[in-house]
Amino acid sequence: MDTVKEVVVTGLGVAVAGLDDPAGLLAAPGDIPRSGGDDPVRRLDRRGLRYKDRATKLAMCAGRDALVDSGLVTDGPEPVLTVPGETVGVLVSSNYGNVDTICDAVATIAEHTYLGTSPMALPATSSNVIASWIAITHGLRGANLTLCNGPTSGLDAVYWAGLLIRSGRIRSALVIGVEPANEQVRHVAGGGDPDQAPHLFDGAVAMVVEDARSARERGRTPLAALGPYARRADSALAVAAVRRAEPAPVGLWCPPADGGPTPGTAHDRDPAQGTPVRVDRTRDEYPAVTDLTALLGDCSGALGVLQCVAGTAWLSTPESTGRAVLAVSGSGSFADTTGDDAAAGMMLVHPAGAEAPA
Amino acid sequence: MSWVIKGVGAVASTGGTATEIFASLCAGRSGLGPIQGFDPTRFRAVNAYEIDDRPGPGQDVPGRATKWLLDAVGAALDDAGLPPRLDDIPVVVGTTLRELRSVELSWRDKIAFDPAELHFGTALRWRFGGVQTYTVANACAASLYGLALGADLLDCGAADTVVVAGTDTITESTYGMLDRCYPEAPDRVRPFDRERRGMLQGEGASAVVLRRCADPGHGRVRAVVRGIAVNCDAHHPSAPDAKSIAQSIREAHARAGVEPTDIDLVMLHGTGTPLNDEAEAEAIRDVFGIAATAPWMTAIKSMLGHTAGASGLHSLLTAVAAMDAGRVPPTRYLDDPIDEVADLRLVRGAAQEASMSIAQVDSFGFGGLNAVAVVEKVG
Repeated sequence: MDTVKEVVVTGLGVAVAGLDDPAGLLAAPGDIPRSGGDDPVRRLDRRGLRYKDRATKLAMCAGRDALVDSGLVTDGPEPVLTVPGETVGVLVSSNYGNVDTICDAVATIAEHTYLGTSPMALPATSSNVIASWIAITHGLRGANLTLCNGPTSGLDAVYWAGLLIRSGRIRSALVIGVEPANEQVRHVAGGGDPDQAPHLFDGAVAMVVEDARSARERGRTPLAALGPYARRADSALAVAAVRRAEPAPVGLWCPPADGGPTPGTAHDRDPAQGTPVRVDRTRDEYPAVTDLTALLGDCSGALGVLQCVAGTAWLSTPESTGRAVLAVSGSGSFADTTGDDAAAGMMLVHPAGAEAPA
Repeated sequence: MSWVIKGVGAVASTGGTATEIFASLCAGRSGLGPIQGFDPTRFRAVNAYEIDDRPGPGQDVPGRATKWLLDAVGAALDDAGLPPRLDDIPVVVGTTLRELRSVELSWRDKIAFDPAELHFGTALRWRFGGVQTYTVANACAASLYGLALGADLLDCGAADTVVVAGTDTITESTYGMLDRCYPEAPDRVRPFDRERRGMLQGEGASAVVLRRCADPGHGRVRAVVRGIAVNCDAHHPSAPDAKSIAQSIREAHARAGVEPTDIDLVMLHGTGTPLNDEAEAEAIRDVFGIAATAPWMTAIKSMLGHTAGASGLHSLLTAVAAMDAGRVPPTRYLDDPIDEVADLRLVRGAAQEASMSIAQVDSFGFGGLNAVAVVEKVG
């Protein structure tokens, strides 16, 4: 197996109420209403949706859009895969995806015994149900992974997609970050008290990542390339690890839910000092800031994929020339026995040989 | 590329260590018993393969899957001669149900549960200082899928040592819906038997410490992993696809550089569901052809129950111990084999003495997930 030199992004998809396209993730906090807007699930054909949970439906919306955007499937009412199914993997990141099914079932059993449950809901009791339906829908037969890895889960999924491509198991992967917001999830996220739960993101985003050669062979223009990744004890260490490996200056900073360190922490630069700066007011020495938690609420397992989709969209803007994206998920606020167990950092860069966007 | 297993750890209904579990499997002891953790009046099924560590019958507590995981990982580190510290050692934890039993107890019974404990990294950080930890919810193929991920991490140079583990407890939601699905409640897991009625869940955890073959480190090597294949049927959310299973077996053989005739032992997935057992037998016959009658075969879920995310490594650890001991545990409750396996060498009744050096381990899961590993005895 030849060494994979570069893993690139070739398609994006979003299923977030009030957002029309991935570039919308670069909006300033408050520009997207946190509620309202058409439910993206309405875009799906209603056939076959009856027994799918909300997370699966959201993931299907975003996943289809990313696959079409990348050219891996054809557009239209009956999408067709354009490459062999065994070369395409699926990676889903979600912490709360099937919590609703579990809670409903255990309450139903208490009230009506096992006879009150529906056998059709059985697959959704297993946390891989989203990735399973995505694979079935599009015939994606490659490695299929579901990361339920806490606040870093989304960046972890993007990393594992790259690793599976580099290891030669697959040539491309659909990566989806998805979280549903409902009363069951609010109960769990609030530690048993829904009133303690933060405002929760409800939606999905998706990206196709691919061996750069495979993208070239298919005649696709890469939108971004995956840079270094690190999962460390805290966010400053994660930032330091990825910045050591990628020297490009950071032009877009996607902070974790708690704001995290500024990109220069534990490093030789002294950028924004944490003051959120709107993307359109960016200057060379100050990275723009896209705080997706401020924009959308607590994104949990979807955050890392949201950051990578937003980062890829930003790399298509003129101000990105010569600069990279830095994303951090999780805080590593661990103390005693609780808190975030780690923080993950990842950088996205312009693909090798890419011309500066006009 | 191949990898060495440096240490092992396991917990199940029949024992608290890998050695105990293998001894009880060889003795034909089953962990089957009346369900302890749930109100039995809510179900038609009455049995499961539980670990007896609750405060009392019907009194369930959160965090049991996490506890067993920590026990298995600690045992594997110790067996590898490593201190109980993970630091930069990555850990891949395969699971079907994560800590969703704790979510059930929180939702229905208002028993406190910290959402940070829904993934296992939090406990691994607390107990072992681990930070490169990954909870992979890959259904019942999860720990063998995790083995492929761990091997890939070693191959790309991201680490020199990795821990791969699996853990699962039984959720009422899955237990109840399985009960709802089967025409008759299974009383036990009867792999490949005409009277099989379906799967019953088991509880447990399993772990291995893995390194590159070329860089085995100090100390004893338990076994060599020659190759691991993973794929997805993309066919049905719960029904298996024999053709796709056969492809994963072929790919595992190719990655390991072996032919069907090289395989001395097949650890069958063998869940005792009508669909799995037929599809698995068909896939084995398809790949092995006339060589299918040569290797010894067994299915340990008859005695451990379906330990879900932990089951793939439970089978792999059994293969390693069986090759070392020259003894294959029997498939219990297999009295009247289905036609598809009638001429295969499925070990029944008592443990079978045999000299073996290469084993195939099957592990399949919901969502059409398939993982197949080939392991070799050392020396």
